[in-house]
Amino acid sequence: MKLISEGAEAKIYLCNIWGSNIIAKVRLEKAYREKTLDEKIRSARTKNEARILYRMEHAGVAAPRLVGVGKFSIYMTFIKGALLRDIKKKKEILSEVGKMLAKMHNEDVSHGDFTPANIMVSNGMPYVIDFGLAEITKSTEDKAIDLLLMKRSLATAHYKELETSYLRYAKEGKKIKERLKEIEKRGRYKTRTLQTG
Amino acid sequence: MLVIGIESSAHTFGVGIVDDGKILANEKSSYNVGKGGMIPAKVAEFHVENAGKVISTALEKAGVKLKEIEGVGYTRGPGLGPCLQVGELAAKTLSKMLNIPIAQVNHGVAHIEITKHIAGLEDPLALYVSGGNSQILKLAKKPYRHYAVFGETLDIGVGNMLDSFARSLKLDPAWGSSVEKAAIGGKYIELPYTVKGMDFAFTGLLTRATELIGKVKTEDLCYSIQENAYAMVCEATERALLLTKSEELCVCGGVAQSNKLKEMLSLVAKEHGIKFGYAPNEFNADNGAMIAYVAERLLENGYASKLEECGIEQRYRIERAVVP
Repeated sequence: MKLISEGAEAKIYLCNIWGSNIIAKVRLEKAYREKTLDEKIRSARTKNEARILYRMEHAGVAAPRLVGVGKFSIYMTFIKGALLRDIKKKKEILSEVGKMLAKMHNEDVSHGDFTPANIMVSNGMPYVIDFGLAEITKSTEDKAIDLLLMKRSLATAHYKELETSYLRYAKEGKKIKERLKEIEKRGRYKTRTLQTG
Repeated sequence: MLVIGIESSAHTFGVGIVDDGKILANEKSSYNVGKGGMIPAKVAEFHVENAGKVISTALEKAGVKLKEIEGVGYTRGPGLGPCLQVGELAAKTLSKMLNIPIAQVNHGVAHIEITKHIAGLEDPLALYVSGGNSQILKLAKKPYRHYAVFGETLDIGVGNMLDSFARSLKLDPAWGSSVEKAAIGGKYIELPYTVKGMDFAFTGLLTRATELIGKVKTEDLCYSIQENAYAMVCEATERALLLTKSEELCVCGGVAQSNKLKEMLSLVAKEHGIKFGYAPNEFNADNGAMIAYVAERLLENGYASKLEECGIEQRYRIERAVVP
């Protein structure tokens, strides 16, 4: 097992099981959090993420495939590639990213951290990764926030590419875009200069 | 440069005097928020009554005469309109009367900058938590030096949440200190926990906890609301720490007076092997010294305002303020 990444919530290990590369995502104990609360959060999020990965597979969203689930750990297939964040030529990939997001939203899943740091590009195809903050929800607001996060992390022309494709495939695309406009009007988003990707 | 700073964004009228970054005086008088909270006009009236006295005490403490003051700064915002106006008026009067330059200071910037200064930090990720604000910020250099918001509350400030809860329990509202005391010996019960990436929201937690008053033990409720609220903030902060690859972390604002929160944040910092700093409580609560400190740097770096440009802004977003 090789530690390949350490996030705020989990450690990501690359393991080789019978010749296959498998990712193990282990949610870590947080010393600052009350023990009961900590365990509850970690196990609930693990279960939730596994359920969503399963849903993604059935919805045809390019994402890691679920292999197994433990109490605080998830095992999934490894996708070799580079993060969209680190890729210079983004434009061609972005319409596909928009389509993936539309498919995800059509299945009532919001990603929760939809930024270029959570899109892995492998052989020119984007894969959505890290469903750690994803939720099964019908909330237009949550879906609009997925768009908003990407909008804030991409150049305007790049984002347009994504949005056009998203609107073509998303069932409630119009409603979600309206909501996005409304969110952007709220004071805090007007001036916020956040770069997440 | 000998600079006087005036803070009046909420219930505290504070006056600070600094000289070359050295704090010579930090005086204040605070309106008793008691059980009814803050009625802006009443608080403003209180400030008007106390302004002169606080200014003279500060001058006395600093051992300087009014005519020796070389610059003045005040809080432009964010804060309560009528309260801010008192500080603005006092500062403008001093500027005109003494014929000295005036600088407008963003309240949040002042909290972070004074903390950096006192704790000896260079470029920390800052958690700014108070009654009205809860944000995770870091200095960005483009297009101008400002604090970029990485995460923040989507509804109310954590201090406001804890104070509202304290009032429902008929405890004294003060940055959660009474809730912290009442939490001793409590056991954990399940309450809402809302983190969205680097943002968080508190009203769900407040509503549920308020509903449970009288149905479960008060100490359990206080313990759990505090654990949830601070853990939410810590989780979002940790995410921002990793994203920004910060090597320092600081906490500031009224709620930074909580030992419980500082303890939890120090665990976050320890986990990532980074430095964690904060200022003494005198500077976490609203104070004039932080305004004077930032005003001095603004004035020395060419950011003095013309008198006619001076004003107040109740919702003065931190990103819009230039950090000298």
